[in-house]
Amino acid sequence: MTDSPRQITLHEWDRRYDELRAGGLCEPAYGGPLRRHVDQGGDLRLAHLRLDDSPAALRLWNFLLTEDERLAQARAAGQRLVGTMKDLGTVPVMAYSLSNLVAFYPDGAWWIPCLMQGSDRLLQQADALGIDDSFCPVRAMLGAIVDKAHFPIPGLFTCSVGATCDDLSAIAQRLEGLGHGVFWWEIPHRRRPEPGEPSVVLPGGFAAPAAQVAMVKSELQRVRQALEDYAGEHLSDERLSQGIRRANQVRDCLGRLRRTVFTAPRCPLPALEMLIAEMLAIHFCSDQRESLAVLEALEAEAARRVQAGLGLLDGEAVRVFWVNPVADLRVMNLLEDAGGRVCGTDYLFCHALDPIPEDLPPMEALARMALADPMVGSPVDRAERICAEAQQWGAEAVVISRIPGASHCALEGAVIGEVVRRRWNVPVLELEVPPITDAMQPTLRTRLEALVETVTQGRTSIRSRRR
Amino acid sequence: MICAGIDAGSRSIKVVLWDADRLSIVASAAVDQGVEQEALSLRLLQSLLQSQGLTQADLGAVVATGYGRKLISVADATITEISCQAWGVRQRAPGTRSIVDIGGQDSKVLRINGDGVVEDFVMNDRCAAGSGRFLEVLATRLGVRLDALGDLAGRSRLPALISSMCVVFAETEIIGLLAAGTAPADIVAGVQASIATRVAAMAGRHLPRPITFTGGVAMVPGMEGALAAALGNPVSVAPDPQLTGALGAAILAGRRLQGLRTPAP
Repeated sequence: MTDSPRQITLHEWDRRYDELRAGGLCEPAYGGPLRRHVDQGGDLRLAHLRLDDSPAALRLWNFLLTEDERLAQARAAGQRLVGTMKDLGTVPVMAYSLSNLVAFYPDGAWWIPCLMQGSDRLLQQADALGIDDSFCPVRAMLGAIVDKAHFPIPGLFTCSVGATCDDLSAIAQRLEGLGHGVFWWEIPHRRRPEPGEPSVVLPGGFAAPAAQVAMVKSELQRVRQALEDYAGEHLSDERLSQGIRRANQVRDCLGRLRRTVFTAPRCPLPALEMLIAEMLAIHFCSDQRESLAVLEALEAEAARRVQAGLGLLDGEAVRVFWVNPVADLRVMNLLEDAGGRVCGTDYLFCHALDPIPEDLPPMEALARMALADPMVGSPVDRAERICAEAQQWGAEAVVISRIPGASHCALEGAVIGEVVRRRWNVPVLELEVPPITDAMQPTLRTRLEALVETVTQGRTSIRSRRR
Repeated sequence: MICAGIDAGSRSIKVVLWDADRLSIVASAAVDQGVEQEALSLRLLQSLLQSQGLTQADLGAVVATGYGRKLISVADATITEISCQAWGVRQRAPGTRSIVDIGGQDSKVLRINGDGVVEDFVMNDRCAAGSGRFLEVLATRLGVRLDALGDLAGRSRLPALISSMCVVFAETEIIGLLAAGTAPADIVAGVQASIATRVAAMAGRHLPRPITFTGGVAMVPGMEGALAAALGNPVSVAPDPQLTGALGAAILAGRRLQGLRTPAP
């Protein structure tokens, strides 16, 4: 194994894979060269990304890109599939507490147009169904369900509605209109408790009225019943508590990984692989146990690099807190090209990174978790959490990446930017990132480079003032 | 030692020669942008050098900035137009705390601290509504030269209201206004106000003063007033406002040559 970590091209990975194999690399059943995802799976974007060269990263990518096969195998083995939409982390915890359910996240199809560089034509299929580009690219999910060429169609879809993303609600309603039954459950807009009103502190630090928690709990109870009916299996509180503990193992591991990567003097893992890793917390990529193993391997690799004083970028790289996931994965490479590194993130699901309380009755714990979703509350609440975390990780700038068409992004970005500037006075950059940014690379690069220059010049200015 | 700054913008290429010892501009020039960006830049640089009796060998350092900066192989370094604008304005309008730059395809607002260092910036995002492109579309539609728009706006009695924030939709509005008999002067003034409003919205509240206006659009008569009205604050156009990016690049080339870390005030 080479000691100096690098980000390499797919072409370089071909040779690297052979070297690793010759060196005795042990891989799980879904392992293999990354090239096959391009040649056989059509994931053309891989050839335009720079990827971490570690066996742990190889495992992560292979795990991510074999999810459809895993789902098909699960179905063939008699397991039942549940598509959990929009809850971003809560319903899968319940589903994975039942022995014969496999939950996955159809919303994740929003990356297919990027990975397949549009050759999938999923967005065009969504267009034809009336869900055009005035909606978020998550509409690709609709195309994937209609053309049945990606993941197997689950026997049950669940979707939260209410204070969630308007786009996703519209897309899921269109899905239901096409004959795919959706089990809807309601999540209210999280409001601040009135003075004297009984309230509850949620994971992550937000507060909500106790009545809202009770309402969400009753909604989740309906979901639980639906899952039990679908699985043909009773879910006891004890088993649900065990499921929560297993989910927390994943969250704890991810928490350690984030801490290691974000606080290291030199960046030990790239932003791109960290983005993929964080996503595992919400959907487990259809295999909860394996997702933990994948994260543990990444954690070990990051720790090894930090201990050896190794990193991918120089120690002067500008520390950036990144808000919202990018539709085009290539943009995470671009940040590093521009001289930045990710130190802190809010990819819209930070509630799924917080441990689920284990000292509460399980449904109460899950209800609190669901209500802690940053997207169901005020953008000001979200901005305040971003400020607190960005300061905790020592970030020097904030990038707010907008998702084109996403209804929440249009308003949230400005609010978050204003709160961050007012509270903390660091440079804030807003970008819009569509699924393929090739034609926009020069303008995106200019913005990211300008952000890096601004921070770097500010550092020098402070140093000269101290002199 | 003479240094050069090349600003390869979307609409035009600007070159400034800078005497890094005397801290003064030696010469400057601009040409329209084209497909052969590097060739155009090199030709402009060489003709400017020639006009001063210099050759490329006399140059201490070259910094390229602007949209096409990565294409300029003669450059020793590339620096974004954000940093270069700040340095150029610092030279031409010392004490500036905010810069509004409106170019051919983009617009940006920079906040500068008391040391002259960029604190924060915003740029328009995938939309030409707050840029010179809007004026180009208007000039084409009205059948007048771009540089005649300012005089035309000066004759406006009642600026037209342009409600669209998108250049494409706004063009439809312009056609509608012309069909309704609106005076071209009022349409031009309306478009100027629309650009200024868009940029002011992007700038947000509490823009620190003094505010300096740069970029090619700053040379259009009437835009300064439109921007001041939209910002609710006085605005000063920088001397040679289209050249401040190239000037900043040349100054940074000089600092690079002298081994100075970029931002030291």
